[in-house]
Amino acid sequence: MKFSLQQSIYIFTISSCLLFIVLVASVFWSTHIIDLAFKRETYAHQVENHTHILKLFIASENIYASNYDTDNWLALEKKFRNLLRQSPNLTSEQLTIQNSIVSQNKNILHLFNAISENKLVNANKAVKKHLKLRLITQLEAIQSDSVHLSTMVQKDIRSVIRHQIVFILSILILVIFILAYGAFKLSHIFRTSLDEVKAAFKKNRTGDFQKIQLSNKSDEFISIVNAFNAMNKELNETTISLAAVQKIVDERTQVLENLSKTDSLTNVANRRALFERGSAEFSRSQRMKSQLAVILLDCDFFKKINDQYGHLFGDESLKHLTKICTDEIRNIDFFARYGGEEFIILLPDSDLNAAVETAKRIQRSLVNKPLSFDGQEVYMTISIGICTVNDKHANFEQLINDADDAMYQAKSNGRNRIEILGDNISH
Amino acid sequence: MNPKYFFLSFIVVLITLGIGGLYSNFKYLWDQEKFPVTIAVSKTPLSTPFYVAKSINAFEDTCVTVEYDEVIGGQAAFEKVISGEVDFGTSSDSVMAFQSLTKHSFVTHAMFVQSDNDVKLITRSSDNVTSAMDLKGKKVGVTKNTASEYLLSTLLAIEGLSMGDVELYNYKPKQLVQALSNNKVDAIVSWEPFAFKLSQSMGQNIKIHDTKSLSTLSFNLISIKPDSQLVEKAKCVIQGLYKAINYIASHPQQSKKIVIDELDLDSAFIEWVWPDYIFKLGLNQSLILSIKSQATWAVETQMRESTEIPDSERFVDSRALLQVEPGAVNILL
Repeated sequence: MKFSLQQSIYIFTISSCLLFIVLVASVFWSTHIIDLAFKRETYAHQVENHTHILKLFIASENIYASNYDTDNWLALEKKFRNLLRQSPNLTSEQLTIQNSIVSQNKNILHLFNAISENKLVNANKAVKKHLKLRLITQLEAIQSDSVHLSTMVQKDIRSVIRHQIVFILSILILVIFILAYGAFKLSHIFRTSLDEVKAAFKKNRTGDFQKIQLSNKSDEFISIVNAFNAMNKELNETTISLAAVQKIVDERTQVLENLSKTDSLTNVANRRALFERGSAEFSRSQRMKSQLAVILLDCDFFKKINDQYGHLFGDESLKHLTKICTDEIRNIDFFARYGGEEFIILLPDSDLNAAVETAKRIQRSLVNKPLSFDGQEVYMTISIGICTVNDKHANFEQLINDADDAMYQAKSNGRNRIEILGDNISH
Repeated sequence: MNPKYFFLSFIVVLITLGIGGLYSNFKYLWDQEKFPVTIAVSKTPLSTPFYVAKSINAFEDTCVTVEYDEVIGGQAAFEKVISGEVDFGTSSDSVMAFQSLTKHSFVTHAMFVQSDNDVKLITRSSDNVTSAMDLKGKKVGVTKNTASEYLLSTLLAIEGLSMGDVELYNYKPKQLVQALSNNKVDAIVSWEPFAFKLSQSMGQNIKIHDTKSLSTLSFNLISIKPDSQLVEKAKCVIQGLYKAINYIASHPQQSKKIVIDELDLDSAFIEWVWPDYIFKLGLNQSLILSIKSQATWAVETQMRESTEIPDSERFVDSRALLQVEPGAVNILL
C-alpha cells in the first residue's frame, strides 16, 4: 500500500499518539502490578502480626481455667478470618501458602472450640499441656507460613519492580525506535525528493532538460515531478541551446558565404571571389617574386548560341565549359566566372608557356567534347587572352585588364585563338 | 546509515540473543546429569504432589529421573527407605516421631502435605460411642507406631484414660477395616481412604467421630542420613514437587482429577478429604514440635520403653529445600 506524504504524516502522528498511549498504559499497568505486590506485602505483614497476637493470647492465658473468657480470643480469630478472606490476588506459589494458612486456621478454631467446650475436665495435666502446645504449634505453623509469605512477596516485589522497569524500558526503547525510524523515514523522503528536484533545476539552468526520477515515491512529489517533467518535455522540444544556435549560424554563414562567392549557374567562384583570391595571389607573387599567369576566356558567338538553341542551352554550354576548364586545370589553379560568358583562370607559380599549355588543353577538350542538341553536335569555341604578371602591374585589376586586352585581341584576330599581351605570338 | 540496514541489524541482534538464550537453556538440559531415583510413594491422596508431578512432567527439567514404588502406608515406605530398597520415601510425621525413638538414622528433606483430619476414630453405630470415655474396656484396632496409635492415646488422655484402659489390637492399615467389619474389634483408628470406604460400605452402621485438629498428619520426603549427592537428588525431587504443589494451588480441579485417575478413586472420596489437605512445602518449627511432642507423648504414656527423647532437629535436613525454596525453611537451629 502506498501513502501520500500527508497520509504518512497523519499516520506517523497517530502512531506516535498510540505509542504514547501504550507507554502510558504500560506505566499504569506496572503501577498496578507494583501496587498489587505492595498490597500482598501489607497483607503478609498483617497476617504475621495477627498470628503473633493470637499466639500470645493462647500462650499467656490459662485456657483451661473455668473463668477463662473465650470471647476475646474468638473476636480476634474472627478478625483474622476476615483478614484472610480479603486477601489480594496472589500468585500460585503464594496461593499455596494462603491455602495452608486458611486451612490451618480452621483447624485451630476447631481445636480451640473442642477444648473450650468442656475445658477437658477429665484430662490430666499432661494432655492439657499437650493440647495447648498443639494449639501454639499450629499458630506457630501459621506464623511461619506468614513469614514465608512475607519473604515470598518481598522477593516478588523486587522481581516485579525489576520486571516492570525492564518492561517499561523495553516499551520505551521500542517506542523511541519506532518514532525515530518514522521520523527518519519521513525526513529521508523529504530530503532526497527535494535534493532530486533541486538537482533537476540546476541541470535545467545548463540546458539539460532531464526527467526527474524519484527514488522515494510520494504522491505530492510525484505531482510536482509530473508537472516538472511535462514542462521539461516542452522545453526540450522548443528550446535550443546557444551552442546549437551558434553552430547553425556558423553553418548558415558558411553557406551564405559560399553562396556570395559562388556563381549560381556554374557553381564556380564568382567575380567577387575571383577578386579576393586574385588580389591575394597577386600580393603573394609580388611578395615572393613568384610567377602568376591569368587566362581570360570568352565564349565565341555566345549570343548566337542563345538565339539559336535557346537560353537554357546557353546555360548548359556555360556549365559544359566550366566542367572542361575545371577538369583541365591544376589543383592549385583558381577558376572563376568573370561575368556573362567570360571566365578567368589564375595560375600561381606558372609561367607563360604553362598557361598557354593549359589554354591549349582546354581548346582541345572543347573540340573533343562537343555539346549535343537534339542529337546534333554543337561545337563551341573560345577566345583566350593570357598575360603574366610583370613590373608594370600595380594591382590585380591591371593584370585582368591586360588579360582582357589580350582576349579582345584574340576576338579581333578572328576568335577561337589565344593571344598573349605584349607578345605577337598567337595560337 | 540506511534505515533498512539499521532495522536489519536490530533484528539480527535480537535473533542472536534469542539463539544464545535458547542455546544456554538447551545446554543446561543436555549437560545436566540425570540421576535415577526411586521413591516409595504411599498410595494415598496425600501423595497428590507426586502424582501431579508425574502427570505434568515436573521432574523433566530437574536432575533426576523418578520412578515410584507404590506402597500402602507411610510405615512401609519408611521401611523401604531404611532397608535401602529405595532412595526416598513418603512418611508421616508420626512414623518419624516413633522411629526417632529407635536406632534408625533418617531425615526429612521436606514436608509436602498435611492434614488435621486424616486419622479418624470409627466405631459401630450400635455401640453408641459418643466420646473416648465410652471406649473404656473395648477392643480397639490400631496400627502401631503410627498416627493411629498416637490419636487413640490422645483421645483417651483427653478423657483421663490411658492405653491400658482399652484392649489394643495391632493391625496393618488394610486389615483394620476388615477387623471392624468382622467384629474382631469394637473400634478402629484408621486413615483415609479406609474411613471413607467403611462409610461407603457400611453406611449408617458405623460412626466416624469428629477428631479434626487433634492430630496433624504431615507427609514428608524422607531418606537415610544423606551424603551430598543424596542432598542433590533430594533437591531435584523437591524442585519437581514445588512445581506440582503450585500447580495444585492454581489448578485444584485438574489436580483432583489426576489423583482420581491415578489411584482409581471415587471422586466423592476426593471431595471428602480434599478440604482437609494442605499442600505446601515446608520445614518449620511446628514440624519439629509435632515430631517432638509425639515422641514425648509416646514416652510419657509409656507406649515406648525408651525414656530418652532425641533432638528432633537431627531428623531434619534443610539443605535441599533451602536451595529450592529458602522461604519455606523456618526452623530455629
